[in-house]
Amino acid sequence: MKKFATLLCAMLALGSFVFANGQSESAASSETTLRVGMVTDAGTIDDKSFNQGTWEGIVRAGEDFGFTPKYIKPSGTTEADYLAGVSDLADSGYNMIITPGFKFETTIYKAQDQYPDVKFVLLDGVPHPGDYNVVIRDNTVAVSWAEQESGFVAAVAAALKMPNSKFGFVGGMEIPAVQKFNWGWQQGIKYANENLGTNVSIAQEDCLYSGSFSDVALGQQMAATMFDRGVDVIFAAAGGVGVGVINEGKSQRTSGKDKWVVGVDIDQYADGLMPNGESCILTSAMKYLDRASYDMINDELNDAFPGGTSIVLTAKENGVGIPTENPNLSAEIQAKCDDVYKMMQSGEIVVAAEQLPGLWK
Amino acid sequence: MSAKKNKELKSNNFIIAISAVVLGLIAGAILILIIGENPFASFRYLVRGALMSVRRTGTTLAITTTLMLVGLSIAFAFKTGLFNIGASGQILAGGLAATTVAFAVDIPHVPLIFLILLTGFIAGAIWGLIPGLLKAFFNVHEVVSTIMMNWIAYWVVFYFVPAFLKGPSLETESAGLPFEKTLRVSWLTELFDGSNYINVGLIVAIIAVIVIKFIMDKTTLGFELKAVGYNRYGAEYAGIRVNRSVVLSMMIAGGLAGLAGVAYYCGYSGKIQIGILPTQGFDGIAVALLGASSPVGVVFSSFFFGILQAGKGFMSGNTLVPPEIADTIIAVIIYFTATSVMFKNFWDKRFKKINEKRNIVQKDSNSIEEDN
Repeated sequence: MKKFATLLCAMLALGSFVFANGQSESAASSETTLRVGMVTDAGTIDDKSFNQGTWEGIVRAGEDFGFTPKYIKPSGTTEADYLAGVSDLADSGYNMIITPGFKFETTIYKAQDQYPDVKFVLLDGVPHPGDYNVVIRDNTVAVSWAEQESGFVAAVAAALKMPNSKFGFVGGMEIPAVQKFNWGWQQGIKYANENLGTNVSIAQEDCLYSGSFSDVALGQQMAATMFDRGVDVIFAAAGGVGVGVINEGKSQRTSGKDKWVVGVDIDQYADGLMPNGESCILTSAMKYLDRASYDMINDELNDAFPGGTSIVLTAKENGVGIPTENPNLSAEIQAKCDDVYKMMQSGEIVVAAEQLPGLWK
Repeated sequence: MSAKKNKELKSNNFIIAISAVVLGLIAGAILILIIGENPFASFRYLVRGALMSVRRTGTTLAITTTLMLVGLSIAFAFKTGLFNIGASGQILAGGLAATTVAFAVDIPHVPLIFLILLTGFIAGAIWGLIPGLLKAFFNVHEVVSTIMMNWIAYWVVFYFVPAFLKGPSLETESAGLPFEKTLRVSWLTELFDGSNYINVGLIVAIIAVIVIKFIMDKTTLGFELKAVGYNRYGAEYAGIRVNRSVVLSMMIAGGLAGLAGVAYYCGYSGKIQIGILPTQGFDGIAVALLGASSPVGVVFSSFFFGILQAGKGFMSGNTLVPPEIADTIIAVIIYFTATSVMFKNFWDKRFKKINEKRNIVQKDSNSIEEDN
């Protein structure tokens, strides 16, 4: 009897397959309804970084505008895998696809031609075939951030907290998005020294790129060496390597040393939590990924999708900044940072996006 | 009494494989039910995602290609009494060597394809040769040595690619191979409606299956290799050179995995990434198990896993089934194939009972006939 039941199930399953192939694909009514999908970068949807930030914005938009978003996790991290993820969404009738991370640059370059009816939002990159000859079609928007402004205000906050100390920087790969964080960080230190009476130094050997976004152990090693050299605050703009830096920050603080880490991309306060309930994260140089994905969906719904353009989100658009609250910063410091932020918004302070003379690479 | 009915029922590899797949799908269906989706509709999307258009079928076949070659490599090793868990490393070795040659050599497309296939096969074979030699002369177990070879390949790629093959934009992968240096050919791409992935690796894989089947079934070499697999000491007593057979088996298995590396890195993805041990090396074990380690079985099981891999994204795109559940379903099916011995025992018992019943019935009818 059991065997019979098994056989029956098998036949039913097989039957549904056979009939499935006979059915014609039901055309999704794309004129009226917006269906938003996202393809994740390396890592999971709850990676406390790019994927999560982007997804949170899409979910928020879904709640506000009444749609159910969907994310696809590609089976690998090559362009082929990403493109397969994009095809899965596009073939399923999704007409707006959001992809976080510069690794999608070449994927979107191909996808925008292959699916001209689908709107693409590429966060933190510009579509190109692999040689930086940028091509943005009318169905694509490339969003990037003024990382230097974010690093700048984070540096001011850190300098006010630790006025007489040494700072360091650990980057991931030496790509523009990371370099801009670094240069903003150094300009922020300089500004605080000149205008806010701090005395912070940063040495060339303490500005390092790890060459990786995933090697946690390497990050911990680099941070340990740097802290041992007498550096007090490390700004980690390095993804998974940054997790290693944060781990080292935790162990330094747990052993009673006054060392801090500055987080990146999203508010990493929770990542730096130690058993005693405090966090080694002084502040975080944020890019508001959730706002970008939310705004793009909003624009699309209002028929104002800025297709064919590349958008840079700055302090003016509230696209970058530091968290408004962090228990490690006093209200006084927070207020001073707000002032600096406002000056950036009004254009009184201009943070350079390139390596000015006097800045380490 | 028809002759067909008199034939004794026995469990065979096909029934075992189908049982594993069906049970895996049922387990997946239960998971989908818990989420609150219709399992039949979900599976329908799964298959449609893999086969609904010519282009998507091309993608499925391209995924199948790699799995078929890896599965063949592992199945071949199984048959000759070796457990090649180092297919991942051999894929990397083959892929790296082939990619390097593809970049370095400037010759027309067709000869280049033959050249990079040969390079990949040789590099994979070398990666299999070392564990083979260690096994033959120092009795180092191939599971240990091939896993270590995996990591050697992993770190070689990690340092070699950024140093010599780096692309202009990404640090973590090589530059992309231009179309005329890959295994992709325009007539196949057009045949599959502009599929980005389909490549001549598929043809290579099918030829490899035929060649391996021929070697195993029709040649003295294949007989010797299998004899060593069944009983090393028996084979030695019979005058077969066991050490030579072990080394040769590992080399052929490595070479096949190396070809898979060529198909994957020079065909499917068109570039090689650092810091990633290709999971196909382990998926290949499931392919080989489900295919009962026979070359023809591998063709079907790799196509089945290809459908699962290619269709899962489309399934989660159309249902509430999250991608992670799709992976879980695949894992459950792999789990059931890995425990195929269980099904063998189950069917053996069932069939024994049925056969016994039949024998009784037959005796009765015979006795009735005699009475008449």
